[in-house]
Amino acid sequence: MAEFWSGYALPGAIIVAQILVIIVPLLGAVAYLTLAERKVIAAIQLRKGPNVVGPFGLLQPIADGVKLLLKETVIPSGANPVVFVIAPMLTFMLSLIAWAAIPFDLGLVLADINVGILYLFAISSLGVYGIIMAGWASNSKYAFLGALRSAAQMVSYEVSIGFVIITVLLCVGSLNLTEIVLAQENMWFFIPLFPMFIIFFVSGLAETNRSPFDLPEGESEIVAGYFVEYSSMSFALFFLGEYANMILVSAMTSVLFLGGWLPPFDVAPFTWIPGPIWFAGKIGLCLFVFLWVRATMPRYRYDQLMRLGWKVFLPFSLFWVVLTAGVLMATGWVPR
Amino acid sequence: MNQEFAASFVLVLPETFLAVAAMALLMLGVFRGEGSARLVSWLAIAALAVTALFLPLAAPGQAAAFGGLFVTDAFAVFMKILILLGTALALVMSIDFNDREQIAQFEYPVLFLFAAVGMMVMISASDLISLYIGLELQSLSLYVVAAFRRDAVKSTEAGLKYFVLGALSSGMLLYGASLIYGFSGATGFADIAEIMIGQAGDPPLGVIFGIVFMVAALAFKVSAAPFHMWTPDVYEGAPTPVTAFFSIAPKIAATALLVRVLIDPFGPLVNQWQQVVIAVAIASMLIGAFAAINQTNIKRLMAYSSIGHIGYALVGLAAGDETGVHGVLIYMAIYLFMNVAAFGVILCMRQQGRMVERIADLSGLSVTRPGIAAALAIAMFSMAGIPPLAGFFGKFYVFQAAIAAGLYTLAVIGVLTSVVAAFYYLRIVKLMYFDEPVEAFDRPAGRTLGIVITGSSLLILLFVVYMAPVVGWAGIAAAALFGG
Amino acid sequence: MNGQLTTMLSEYLPILIFIGIAGGLALVLVLASLIAGRQKPDSEKLSAYECGFEAFDDARRKFDVRFYLVAILFIIFDLEVAFLFPWAVTLGEIGMFGFWSMVVFLGVLTVGFIYEWKKGALEWE
Repeated sequence: MAEFWSGYALPGAIIVAQILVIIVPLLGAVAYLTLAERKVIAAIQLRKGPNVVGPFGLLQPIADGVKLLLKETVIPSGANPVVFVIAPMLTFMLSLIAWAAIPFDLGLVLADINVGILYLFAISSLGVYGIIMAGWASNSKYAFLGALRSAAQMVSYEVSIGFVIITVLLCVGSLNLTEIVLAQENMWFFIPLFPMFIIFFVSGLAETNRSPFDLPEGESEIVAGYFVEYSSMSFALFFLGEYANMILVSAMTSVLFLGGWLPPFDVAPFTWIPGPIWFAGKIGLCLFVFLWVRATMPRYRYDQLMRLGWKVFLPFSLFWVVLTAGVLMATGWVPR
Repeated sequence: MNQEFAASFVLVLPETFLAVAAMALLMLGVFRGEGSARLVSWLAIAALAVTALFLPLAAPGQAAAFGGLFVTDAFAVFMKILILLGTALALVMSIDFNDREQIAQFEYPVLFLFAAVGMMVMISASDLISLYIGLELQSLSLYVVAAFRRDAVKSTEAGLKYFVLGALSSGMLLYGASLIYGFSGATGFADIAEIMIGQAGDPPLGVIFGIVFMVAALAFKVSAAPFHMWTPDVYEGAPTPVTAFFSIAPKIAATALLVRVLIDPFGPLVNQWQQVVIAVAIASMLIGAFAAINQTNIKRLMAYSSIGHIGYALVGLAAGDETGVHGVLIYMAIYLFMNVAAFGVILCMRQQGRMVERIADLSGLSVTRPGIAAALAIAMFSMAGIPPLAGFFGKFYVFQAAIAAGLYTLAVIGVLTSVVAAFYYLRIVKLMYFDEPVEAFDRPAGRTLGIVITGSSLLILLFVVYMAPVVGWAGIAAAALFGG
Repeated sequence: MNGQLTTMLSEYLPILIFIGIAGGLALVLVLASLIAGRQKPDSEKLSAYECGFEAFDDARRKFDVRFYLVAILFIIFDLEVAFLFPWAVTLGEIGMFGFWSMVVFLGVLTVGFIYEWKKGALEWE
């Protein structure tokens, strides 16, 4: 019995606690990201944004959440109920579990797996299933169109994301996320790989279906895309998933290009601030750009979106992979 | 390490050249646009010719490349020359046909070249992995050309059927290969052979299953009964020059592959696979003889005829020794020219600007177009095995090998079925020479087809004259396979 | 089980537990809303949304073949990326030979890419 407690129950409880330490702040961040979005866009458009519920509208996300919780769950009669219910749960789940491999500081990572970046890439690729399932199960034309568009868009940009990750891997020589961050101790990768950094971030916008690539939702033409038939908590799960994915893409950008938890300069005033704070700050910066882009850019047309993905990003990132590998080979800087 | 790889690259020079040429032609075609089909076709034929010149250069003797994934020997050179010849002839026959049928596109010759690269890799493969890669490269190209006439229901159906059944057979091949790998622990043919010698008396059951699966899959590819079901439909549906190509090059390549797989790694287990090959050979000969009798479409007839011919070739393989393989090689070489001649004539079957495919349309051809009729008659007599035409010697060598190996029943069945098959071959001759003429065929658009038909007919007719070098060369090729 | 494998697998245990917790959380949220919210369905509410019309026909019907095309292109290039992953990580060990092998591979793929570009497979209009 004692062995059970010390061998299984205790480590298990520790893991559960660690997971909760990740999930709870994450969900809080998601909730306040929705508020931040409204506030930032309002500020850019010289409005006030939500300011009624609580001081400066700080309780607004909670009010929204409670409202959604109390709404009726509508499952359309033509829909496939099982898939219809599973789809948002899958999206939500996938947006959370990716965080298991993200390092918040040296050694501060839930699962320090040796194929960390591959894990992230795989999980983010799976996201398209939730959308396809939702669009198909709804049995509604808007949802179906939105899902198709979304799937095509996500897979198109995933290819360039893959190539961008390859260029980073070439400079690191490891798939482990901690090692990727440690390899940036001298120089963050966004300086030598600047074009790749831009491509990654823009592809990240497309992967998360964010403006200016928010055609799958395209309110003015297909109402809300794949989740037009969703209501109540199922809708909220999509919403949470989408915002959690934004944060995830920002975290990936930070890990791959902005040195993760590393301070910008390895000297006194910067090193006083602990790593997780730096990491959070970098994520926040990326998220701000997400919102900034949404407030300022008009929506792409679908053919422009496909053109950008296949005819600009893909050849360019492929070329850059070969260039990076060639430079590394020629200079002998290849990590061993 | 680098020395060895440099040597390897010399050995694969023909394949490399052909692959690079195919890609270059693809680029040429896509940049020059739709009108470039004819130019690309002729350049493709030139590329095939240059590749044939490279073959003896790159492969002076027996040599293995890339750590045993790829071998070159006299057997490979012999078969590759047949492949290149078959591909080039099929392309030559296609050019005018495609122009007139308005399906000329530059992808067509490029796909032929890719298929040829795949076939060359198949022939030289000496590892289960490279075998599969070559086979798939060939098959994928062929699926597309089978459906090349995209607006015709039959052609797309042919492509789809070929694809689905081809994928099934590839799956069986992989299953067999994985069983063999699992039970022997090796994928290289030489390694497998070594392990098999030790266990020749009592091989593991898994290996036997693996061999059966691989033989079944390769029987699919050579369209031997009972895995022949796709052949008539695909041959009928595909555009005629594509059918001609299918009946020549891929068949020769798959036969070569089957021979190499059975002799090289599984030579020690000849007692195990011999019965399977005998069964397949008998079934193919029977199907080829009896199912063809009722056909009214000449392309379907040729499909059954090709099934029968594979049966005869497998008779040689069933012997499982050097004489048998020698017979197979001679048979495939002769088969190539017989089919080129027959399909050359089928491509001439055009009335008032439309292709016709009924056997009845050949009625009285000797009056309306005596030259073509003579060529087809020669091809048919040869296929029936009438001496002194080439076809007789093909059958002679395989049956002789079977008798030498003590397979009397097989040889007797072979002779009987070739008598039955002679019935429908000679029926065509009778139709052309003794029946009332129907509407005459149109004049062919170019002269190339006529040259191909004349050339191949002459080769069939005069086989006795130049027999010695071909037989001698095939002998060297067969000996190479048995380590001679 | 050998020790190395156990260690490697145990690194994935937190992920497994994470999946369980995340799935459980999603389920709890949906169920909570089912219990907390007032459920009062009617046939109009349950019909598919179509701008005030009755839905004309089933939504599961033919759609543009270009989506298939995108899917096929994606498979090709994603496989390419999958090949690149191990290559990128081990480039230091496989040296010049490995580098040039991959350049040849990418060259072949580039030929295919140029072909599909010129053929208009990447056009959406």
